Amino acid sequence: MLALAPLVFPTYGMTLLTEALILGVFAMSLDLTVGYTRLISFGHAAAYGFGAYACGWLLLHTPLPMVAAIPLAALLAGVVAIGVAWVCTQATGVSFSMLTLAFAQLLYAVAYKWTSVTGGSDGLAGIPRRPGPLGLHVFVSRNGFYYLVLIVLFGAFLFCRALVRSPFGAVLRGIRDNEAKTLALGYNTRGYKIAVVALSYGLGALAGALYAPFAGFANTELLFWLLSGQVLIMVIVGGAGTLIGPILGAVFFLTVEHQLSNYTEAWGLFFGLIFIAFVIFAPEGIWGLIRARFVRRSAVEPEFRRGVARAR
Amino acid sequence: MKPAAKMTRRNVAGLAAGGVAAAASPWVVRRAYAAEPIKIGAPLALTGPLGSVGQQLKRGCELWVKWQNQKGGLLGREIKLLLEDTGGNPADAVRKAQEMVERDGCNIFTGITLSSEALAVVPKLDEWNAIFVSSDNGDGRLTAESFVPNFFRGNVSAPMGARAVSLFLRTAPYKSFYAIGMDYAWGRNSVSVFESEMKQAKKNFIGSVFSPIGTKDFSTYITKIRQSGADACYVTMAGDDYNAFLSQAAQYELPKKVQLLSEVVDLTVPRAVGDAALGLISSMRYCFRVDNPKNKEFVAIWEKEYGIPPDNNEGEQWQALQILAAGIDKAKSTGTKVLRGALETIEIDDINGIVPIRKCDHQAVQGGTVVKLVKAEGFSYPVPEIIATFPGDKTVPACNKMTFED
Amino acid sequence: MGLLAFFVTQSLNALSQAALLFFLGVGLTLIFGIMRIVNFAHGTFYMLGAFVGYSAARLTGSFWLALALAPLAVGIVGALFELGILRRLYRRDESAFLMVTFGLALVLTELIRLGWGPEALQVEAPSVFSGIVFVLGEPFPTYRLFLAGAGILVALAIWQFLERTRLGLLIRATSQNAEMVHALGIDVNLVRSAVFGIGCGLAGVGGVLAAPLVTASIGMAAEMIIDAFVIVIIGGMGSFPGSLLGAVLVAFVQVFGEYYLPDLALAFMYLVMLLVLVVRPGGLLGKEA
Repeated sequence: MLALAPLVFPTYGMTLLTEALILGVFAMSLDLTVGYTRLISFGHAAAYGFGAYACGWLLLHTPLPMVAAIPLAALLAGVVAIGVAWVCTQATGVSFSMLTLAFAQLLYAVAYKWTSVTGGSDGLAGIPRRPGPLGLHVFVSRNGFYYLVLIVLFGAFLFCRALVRSPFGAVLRGIRDNEAKTLALGYNTRGYKIAVVALSYGLGALAGALYAPFAGFANTELLFWLLSGQVLIMVIVGGAGTLIGPILGAVFFLTVEHQLSNYTEAWGLFFGLIFIAFVIFAPEGIWGLIRARFVRRSAVEPEFRRGVARAR
Repeated sequence: MKPAAKMTRRNVAGLAAGGVAAAASPWVVRRAYAAEPIKIGAPLALTGPLGSVGQQLKRGCELWVKWQNQKGGLLGREIKLLLEDTGGNPADAVRKAQEMVERDGCNIFTGITLSSEALAVVPKLDEWNAIFVSSDNGDGRLTAESFVPNFFRGNVSAPMGARAVSLFLRTAPYKSFYAIGMDYAWGRNSVSVFESEMKQAKKNFIGSVFSPIGTKDFSTYITKIRQSGADACYVTMAGDDYNAFLSQAAQYELPKKVQLLSEVVDLTVPRAVGDAALGLISSMRYCFRVDNPKNKEFVAIWEKEYGIPPDNNEGEQWQALQILAAGIDKAKSTGTKVLRGALETIEIDDINGIVPIRKCDHQAVQGGTVVKLVKAEGFSYPVPEIIATFPGDKTVPACNKMTFED
Repeated sequence: MGLLAFFVTQSLNALSQAALLFFLGVGLTLIFGIMRIVNFAHGTFYMLGAFVGYSAARLTGSFWLALALAPLAVGIVGALFELGILRRLYRRDESAFLMVTFGLALVLTELIRLGWGPEALQVEAPSVFSGIVFVLGEPFPTYRLFLAGAGILVALAIWQFLERTRLGLLIRATSQNAEMVHALGIDVNLVRSAVFGIGCGLAGVGGVLAAPLVTASIGMAAEMIIDAFVIVIIGGMGSFPGSLLGAVLVAFVQVFGEYYLPDLALAFMYLVMLLVLVVRPGGLLGKEA
């Protein structure tokens, strides 16, 4: 259905939708750790920013085409993230969150000052959407790029869904619900945590790598902790632990931010209030609300229901 | 079984997405009729540490549009100003400008405040088929390595300002120099041009330091400047940062030991810090004191509306719009290609005298003015007194260059 | 300037910055220690203190009155928030607090912008401290000395409060074993509200004191909150002496780092934070988190 969007929306709506979907990938990547493993990362912007900078740098300084630079940037981020994950998972709970924040801020500080590579606070400008020798020109235009993002989103979603439904995902949920028990059952919980954090960062970087050619620009704002907070909002408001929820959360976030900022300068006020309301009254998020409305029959996902009941 | 579940889930997801989209119906916006009014887009930094600069540009745009519309607009069409706040954030500048292009059908931009914002926007001008006449962006690269044909610089650039100061220094007693700048495109570019000028003049350039945008506490930087042993310090700052730096510098009695020189100073600064700004020597891109009939007329219009004389960036914004208007009149159209052709060889005679646009890099060629902030009758804060002027051919670098040969 | 004068003046600078960081950090660490809440809105309360202080100073014409009134107002706002919103979430897990305080930060920032406008507002330092003293022959603003002194004073006061008063005892007890305190018949909820209010009030003190130095501006909260987290993490979340240690450490690293290695200073601070977290996840003086 989303494939038909270009026929409905005008250009400016398409730009917004594309960005929303990119953020959707970003939010979904965070859900792997927040929703399925209960590892609250405060530093997810690091993944996004790293992916954006890596892809931007590759597109500016190498002849790589866009469709190669994007996954390469994500892969690079994932590899680096293994080291980050190893350090962060040494701790649990709040300390874990603070470690992720520390890494993200460190990356921010380095990017801010390493002007020769990152352009400092000015960032990288003029990032091209290079089609490459295979003639994949179709992705360069506005609508074409939208389809690229849609494909990546769909692919990432299928991958994540397969992951959480697999035995790997079951262990993650075991860690989320009762780590001690999972450990006692003989699982190397540390190893699983490192894996999921690295994967999550890699996917987050994929979103960032999509952003760089989308906006044609990348700067230190993409690494700032404010973005880490915003993506966390997207996950929670959308509905943690559901994969679709965070995507909806991202779309919701961007739309509301955009529309509100057109009507009033104090949009942050309403936004904060909406967010607080969601946390207090609708902790399962938008997706939880939708499910409650539309999916009455419990034939579909008894497991999900159990999860919701547990969260209460 | 599994496929059925997948269908249900995807359908609901699609419904949800469609529902959200429908509910947020402003997305499906009626195409704005771009035919009648001439739209000028100004994505400004109205808030943030450089908000005071953006506010000047806003006032300049608003008064000019009002004045122009009172005279019947341009080409008989009303002029409509599109204002947005970018907060000084380059990513937002690109986003807001793109919205103005896609949602409002705008193809003319001005008023982008920070050089970093301008540098982020100009690579997209071709894709947007839009013209940008800058009023405030100093970074030399905009007419050098980052130059694009749709860009026109209507203002004095950082190299030009640095050059005016360094020409003044040729007959001044200072021997050794330190420099401090805001840590982004403009600050770094301005300081590097000044450094190359000092080296060329065989003066002692000791070193430089950069403070992040939004720095509030300059005590360490001030100490560095004192410890350097320089007898003058070149400052590239604006907005709140500049206010904080000057008041704190006065607290540490820095100006007593080190003469402060700056590339540009707005009246908002001495108005905010008072006597802490006394004795500052600076280049100014526009000074209300310049004595020519067009400027006097402009100052009168301005004071009638706002009650105080026009500031550095307010004048620059006015001039940039006058250049734009002249181009539109000459081209008899606002179509990007035609307008570009007209602007490339335009010349105006306005508040800064005769100012032509140079075809090779679209720089508005104009002279440099160096002022000193002193006490004056009728003002409760230090005001500029012109102490040197230089003609354009001495202060503008060669085409697509940022440094000078002599 | 001679080497000694340089070190002394820069150390005094660092102490004045440490004081501001301390005001922010001590409240944050207390709130975390007692309530296990990571208060994302802490920087916003600090900012609120600065703006309320600005208005109070204008209304009463006295900086000292503002210094007394503004933190009180901020503390009350904090306590009200705790009563109204946070109380509902105690049965939920920690992430709910995170979210809600983040939302509060957004809301409060906008309310401040609506109330006082987007421009930075200058607050005059009290005349007795607005001049210069000469330290080893070098000019040094008196106000910064005052800040350093105020920091030491408040630290002592808090220490005595925690050690000697009944509420201080209750606070310390609750941080160690809330259930026991409850079993002894004390209304733990009241203790929690008091702690949140006091924590926010302390942030407000920091805001009022910072205003003459850095002006009351909308960007204040975002600038300080990360620094506040850093010092609390380094010092130990929940540890009062830890927040003091963290504040002094970070301020000295910032001041001397900025001077000698300006390009690396920022990164260095976060590196230190990382190292401390890895070696001692609870912070230098904290308990294991």
